[in-house]
Amino acid sequence: MSNKEKRSDGTLKNNRAKYLFLMPGVIWILAFTLFPLVYSFGLSLTNYRLGKNPKYIGFENYAEILGIGDEKVDKKAVSTASFSAFLFLGSTAATLIFGTFVAWVFNHNLPFLRQMRAIVTMPLFAAPIALGWLGVVLFNEQSGPINNVLEGLGLGRVNWFIEPMPARFAVMFTDVWQWTPFVFIVVLAAMQSVPDDLYESAQLDTKSNWNLFRWITFPMIAPALGTVMLLRMVESLKIIDIPYSLTRGGPGSVTQTYVYYAYEKGLVGSFQLGEAAALAYLLVIVSIVVSSIYFYRVRERFE
Amino acid sequence: MAAKTDSLPLMEPRSAFTRASLSDRLIIALAIICTFIAFSPFGYAVLTSLKSEWKDGSIIPFLQFEPNLLNWQQEFGSGGAETIKALRNSTLISLGATAVATTLGTLAGYGLARFKYGIGNRNLVSWFLSQRFLPPVATLIPFVLMFRDLKLLDTLPGMVIVNATFTLPFAVLIMRDYFADLPPELREAALVDGASEFTTFWRIALPLARPALVASTLICFAFAWNEFLFASVLANRDWKPYPMLVAGSDTVRGIDFGFVTTRMLIAVTVPVILSLMVQRFIVRGLTFGAVKG
Repeated sequence: MSNKEKRSDGTLKNNRAKYLFLMPGVIWILAFTLFPLVYSFGLSLTNYRLGKNPKYIGFENYAEILGIGDEKVDKKAVSTASFSAFLFLGSTAATLIFGTFVAWVFNHNLPFLRQMRAIVTMPLFAAPIALGWLGVVLFNEQSGPINNVLEGLGLGRVNWFIEPMPARFAVMFTDVWQWTPFVFIVVLAAMQSVPDDLYESAQLDTKSNWNLFRWITFPMIAPALGTVMLLRMVESLKIIDIPYSLTRGGPGSVTQTYVYYAYEKGLVGSFQLGEAAALAYLLVIVSIVVSSIYFYRVRERFE
Repeated sequence: MAAKTDSLPLMEPRSAFTRASLSDRLIIALAIICTFIAFSPFGYAVLTSLKSEWKDGSIIPFLQFEPNLLNWQQEFGSGGAETIKALRNSTLISLGATAVATTLGTLAGYGLARFKYGIGNRNLVSWFLSQRFLPPVATLIPFVLMFRDLKLLDTLPGMVIVNATFTLPFAVLIMRDYFADLPPELREAALVDGASEFTTFWRIALPLARPALVASTLICFAFAWNEFLFASVLANRDWKPYPMLVAGSDTVRGIDFGFVTTRMLIAVTVPVILSLMVQRFIVRGLTFGAVKG
């Protein structure tokens, strides 16, 4: 990085040019990310509904959601947040475990693995809204292949869209299916950077695959796992497309995520934009916490 | 040259060591199972889309049918006007967003890779990327009001702005990484020869960065193509992109599986193919550079 120092002592002309490169992007972000975020905060302090005049009400929306003071806690906010927490924990854990396992499988020098690897990554790039629809077909109670397979195995049919717990898992499975390849490609990249001689010397002591993984591979890929875990956490808080098309949030609202609830509140039906903005802002705070940890971890990379 | 670098697979297989206790055959079997799990839902969708009607009674439903292209003909034939229009919208929106994001991202990426800024480059990069961490609803709500006031609801420029905004982080990151890896001597030599900063960028750095430019373009295009949430609120009539058609599949004829899977396959084909072409950059792009693929 020392040559960066050398390059930074530019002339006056250079100093002006460097801002010209950066400015268009900075202006864009100010206009379309930062400004909306400030706007959103302002909205969250009002009782704005589409078609009505907004009135400043301070932090009343927040008090209503969180049940502070005289207000009762917004039960739906709590229940949808708990489903989001279910995905936050369940989906993150499952994708990490499966993704690491798949990476371990593909980190062998065997024929055809490379071709198969490309196929394994396919779900990651499909539109989540389309995958939700795919789930509708696959999880169908009467004719879906998943129930057919379960019945064939003697496990019986599951009412994926009628019973709350199976519906929650249907959403989670679809998300896990989409995101496992993400963990897979990141962890595989990390595994492939582990030097061979580490294994060679370790093999003098143990022949067990598990021991090799536990004492060599795992410590070496731990930083990548940490990074990918934080990214998965952030993404899992944003899930809306899959339940939107797979379950419509049902049965009842048991598969409605927190963002889905904010979306519904502000942008469907009564358009309670003020309240929806407050709901969204509470999540922004969580996202800022998680992303700060993330950027703290990866800061050297961007210097 | 550019194309060759691009199509390089994710990474070279290492000279893996034989792990004595598990045979290679078991590993291959596990790999086949993983591949099957990842692919079979798509495969099932292809079969379903080739059925014109669903028979509940058949014992092995996915084998007992005569394949035909009725669903596909319907999607592009009789009911085709809507499909073609949505695909056109998706294409124009994604192209516009990609052009804006890649242009801004290339300039900013070059700046961040080649100069030092007072605020600190790492802070600037984090700032550019932070957009991806925000829950989309938080910006979607103000966007509705801003677009209403600016008369951008249900317009091409409006949709381009939205999609460019959330693909910009990928472009900045991919371009910054690539420019940072170019030897700094190239720029210095050009500057010594009296070229301006911009000429150096345009004549020297940009042509060399063609592989990254291709990758950034394809990734931005794929992500813009998949976007549904903003479109569902900001463009629900004239500029409806294809994912909105997919989302509304059930309102047309109830849930007709052949029809739904046909639309689903059309929606996923473009981004899946594009992404397979730029696998090497995907790891960096999706981890915001934390992991070099």
